[in-house]
Order: sequence, then structure tokens, then C-alpha cells
Amino acid sequence: MTIRTRLTFWFAGVLVVSLLAMGGLSYYELVIEPRNKARAQAAAKNPDEVKEDPPGEELLEALAWSGVPALILGLGGGWLLMRRALAPVADLTQAAQRINEHNLNQPLARSGNGDELDRLTEVFNSMTERLHQSFTRIREFTLHASHELKTPLTVMHGELETALQNETLPPPQRARLESQLDEVQRLTRIVDGLTLLTKADAGQIALAREQVHLDELVREAFADAQSLARPHDIAVTLKNCEPAMVLGDRHRLRQLLLNLTDNAIKYNQPNGIVTLALGRLGENAEVSIANTGPGIAPEMLPRVFDPFFRGDSSHSQAVEGCGLGLSIARWIVIAHDGAIEISSRPGDLTTAIVRLPICKT
Amino acid sequence: MPDNLSLSASCVPASGANKLLPMRVLVVEDEKKTAAFVRKALQAEGFAVDVCHNGEEAWSAARLTPFDAIVLDIMLPGRDGLSLLRLLRERKNTTPVLLLSARGEVNERVEGLNAGADDYLAKPFVIAELVARVRALGRRGGDSRSAILRVGDLSLDTISHQAERNGAKIELTAREYRLLEFLMRSAGRICGRMAILERVWDYNFDPGSNLVDVNVMRLREKIDENFEPKLLHTVRGLGYVIKAPA
Repeated sequence: MTIRTRLTFWFAGVLVVSLLAMGGLSYYELVIEPRNKARAQAAAKNPDEVKEDPPGEELLEALAWSGVPALILGLGGGWLLMRRALAPVADLTQAAQRINEHNLNQPLARSGNGDELDRLTEVFNSMTERLHQSFTRIREFTLHASHELKTPLTVMHGELETALQNETLPPPQRARLESQLDEVQRLTRIVDGLTLLTKADAGQIALAREQVHLDELVREAFADAQSLARPHDIAVTLKNCEPAMVLGDRHRLRQLLLNLTDNAIKYNQPNGIVTLALGRLGENAEVSIANTGPGIAPEMLPRVFDPFFRGDSSHSQAVEGCGLGLSIARWIVIAHDGAIEISSRPGDLTTAIVRLPICKT
Repeated sequence: MPDNLSLSASCVPASGANKLLPMRVLVVEDEKKTAAFVRKALQAEGFAVDVCHNGEEAWSAARLTPFDAIVLDIMLPGRDGLSLLRLLRERKNTTPVLLLSARGEVNERVEGLNAGADDYLAKPFVIAELVARVRALGRRGGDSRSAILRVGDLSLDTISHQAERNGAKIELTAREYRLLEFLMRSAGRICGRMAILERVWDYNFDPGSNLVDVNVMRLREKIDENFEPKLLHTVRGLGYVIKAPA
């Protein structure tokens, strides 16, 4: 039961009780008292003669007739009054619902009349401000950390590269240095991915908004997927590819498609298949990328877009990658006002679907 | 194996714009260790290298000496790289500039190129790639592009897009052709994965997949499998190189 309903009932209840009390009192004053007096007087004059009662039923009737509308009026009026009184709470609720980690720095509007709700808003605003500061600090920390990591990574990479130029290096040492170089490059990819996601989160990455033929990009991704799939004996097919124009950043959209097709090949099985399709669905272009393979357990599905999420199957442990591919893919889709979802039936098909708004003209 | 990395000065007159003097490069980098290995790698290529550790020093050096190219870090103490670059361009100094940045985002790349940079490389970089780009900057404008590229007995006609080895025609897809053309134009020098992605795929980000590797494997099957000697070599961790044995 909402506060408004509760208060309305209380209000109506108090109204009814006070009406009854008032009615009772009037009944007593106007009907019982005069009757008793009259009886007393009659008894004093002539004890044997008992007079008829004075008319009191009319008053009772009148009270009953006015009581019901009063109750209805009380309920209705009370409800309206409560609604007005609690309107700032409803506004506050709506405003608070709109708050997320990206607009924490926008305070809720205050009434300024210093009442309880105004004070509540003030406390609420100072809380979100503190949260905003912590979020900003975390973001800045990640940005600074990934920036600071790049200098030692550059030095390590450069020195390993210089050391590898030595022709007389014995093969075991060369192998060790090469393996270190691989790890430095992996670390670099992770740091680059983190920087990208942190900047994207802070809204610091500007995307191009140009007309892009999505069908061309899908065909290109299909060709790239074919070359990526060849060594694994995976067959890639392009089911259909309708022309569709979207507004966005060509490079990022290519990155998105390559990320998804690359995943579809990595998390596949020998002699598996990957199927690409681009269709139009109402106002949206819909790219679907389906692959065979072990699939994703239903309880893991909601977390596949989380950074560094890898599931727990032995298969995903064996797959190389920086663990940020799907997080980056989701950012790209959202930055293009689109939607991405992944569904999976373990042992059957895993399908990634991307919807992007089609650009008019 | 990367014996081509330590190419002697003898290769410079062949590719450099100036046939007599070595290319003179200014490296502006505050991180001493990075500056040291960049200097070493460029000197190994036969370039004359000057190093500055801050923006002010670099500004006076660039005004006094006509360099053939400048390698410029963005983050510098004193005057930062971008403002130094703008100052140079305002004063009509057109020395080619390769920007280095630890930030490495597309936005900064665009900002750098708008400020007048000729090329851009994100840290951490492959030194071989930096060297290749500096060389390309020095050559800019004076590059005569021959129609037929040759490495050993492999030839590539850049007009008809025909590849031939030892008289046998080799069928190439469009992508494979571009890849081979890029590798052959840089014959004898390591092409980093990032450079290949940029020139052949027009990707300006690291897609984190082995797209380059699988395409090079496929190209290798076509041009090397049935022939001797092998021309296309992998330099582990750095990239690929096409060269005829000495």
C-alpha cells in the first residue's frame, strides 16, 4: 500500500470518527437531552401521563444522508490533497531513477522551501556527488595506470627487440627472449584495451558519424573470417547480405565485426561452421554471426560482456586473447545506438546478434 | 632470422633521397632508455642521429640544423610535442615529423596529423617499424615507383597485378596482392603487423586477431611452398620480411 493510500484512509477515518462524534454529540444535545427534560417536566407535572417522544428520527436520517457523501468527499479530497503533498516525492523518484554512473554529477532539482523533502534532496545530492567523485577517481586511476604502464612496456619491447638482433644469440636464449616479447605484446594489448574501455566509459572517445555501407563491411568481415577459419577447418558462409546504410564510425564497426567473427572461430570446434547474415528488420539492420562449438552455459550468458570474463570451461582457457573483445564490441554497438545480444544452446549454435539503426536517405 | 635489422650504412644511399650524406634525424624523447634504443636502431640504419630530452632543447636544435626527419614524443617536459610541432609549422619548417604517443587513440592520431605531423606511431612500438617509417619520411616525394617489383626470382607486376615465380604464374586474391606488394616494396626490411594492418587492411587499431599471420601463411603457400629458396620469412614477435638470400 502506498503512503498516499494509507494517508488517505487515515484522513477519511479521522473525518468519519469526528463526524460520528459530532453527530453523536448533536444527537445527544438536540434529541436525548430535550426528551429527558420533557419527560422530567412531564413527570413533575403529571407522573401518570407519559408524553410521546419528540421527533428525533429525522435528525438521525439527516445525519446518515450527509455522512455518506462526507465520507466520499473525505476520501476523494484526501486523495487529491495527498497527491499534491507527495508530488515532490514522485518527482524525486523519477529523477533518481534516471541517475546512472554517467550523470552522477547532475544534481536533482531542489524546491528550495526547506521542508523535509528539500532536505532529503540535498542529502541525496551530496551522496551522488561523493559517488561521482569516487567514480571519477577510479577512472582517472585506470587511465593513469595504463598510461604509466606504457613507458616501461616501450622500454621492455625495445630492449628485447635490440637483444634479438644479436645474430650470435644461442637458440635457447633466443627462444626465451622471443617468448618474453610475446608476453610483452599480450600485456600491451590488455593495456590498450583497458585504456580504450576506460576512455569510452568516461565519454572521451569521439566517433566519426559518416554514412557507412554495412553490407560492404560484412562482406569484408566474411573474407577475413574465411582466411582466419582456414587453418582450423571451419567453414564460413554468408547466408544473405542485404544492402544497409548506417551512420557511424567505419573503423569501429569493422573492429566490431572482426571481434565477433574472430570469437566465432576461436570458440568453435574442428570442422565447425560459422554463418554470417545481414538483414533488415524494420528500422534496424541486423547482423547475425552464428557458430558451432561448446557454447556458453545459460548462467554464464549475462556475464559474457564483462571485461576479462572467460567462463570456466577448459576450452576457453586454451583460447588466446586479451579478454576484452566482447566488452569493446558492446561499447561500439552502444555508441552507435544499437543493441547486441548473445544466445547459446550448449552443444548447438551460439549466435551473436547486432542491431544498428538504419540511416535514412 | 632478423639479420636484416642490423643493415649497414651501405643500404642508405640506395634508398635515401640524398646520395652522399646520411639522413639526419632528430629524436625528441624524454625517456632516456627509449631515446637510447631508438638512437641505436636509427644509427644501425646508417642515419645520423641527434637526441633531445625536452621541448625547448628540441626547438633550438630544429631551428639551427636542417634535419631530414624528426621523431617527436608528445609527452615532453617543458614544451610538449604537439605545441612544438605547431610552432615548427607556423615558422614554415616543413621537416617531416613522426609523432610518438603513449596515448595511441584514434583521436590523438587525428589531432597529431592535423597539427602537421606526417606520421604517427603509438607506444609501445616495434623499433623496426619506427625505422621503416622514418626511412619512408626521408624518401617522401623522391620515390620512383617501378612498375615491376622483383625479389630473387619472384616478380610482381603492379599494373596487371600478376605475380610470377621462376616463370610460373601465381594466382593471388586482391588482399594477397596488396600484401605481397607492400612486402616487396619494403623488401629486405621487417614489416611490423601494425604497419601491414594499416597499409593492407586500412585498420588503424589492433584487432587482436591473427589476421595478418593467416594471410601471410596463405601467401607463403603460394609463393614459397613449391620453390627454393624461401623468400618470405617470419621474424617472431616483430613481423615479416621478404628477401632473397644474400
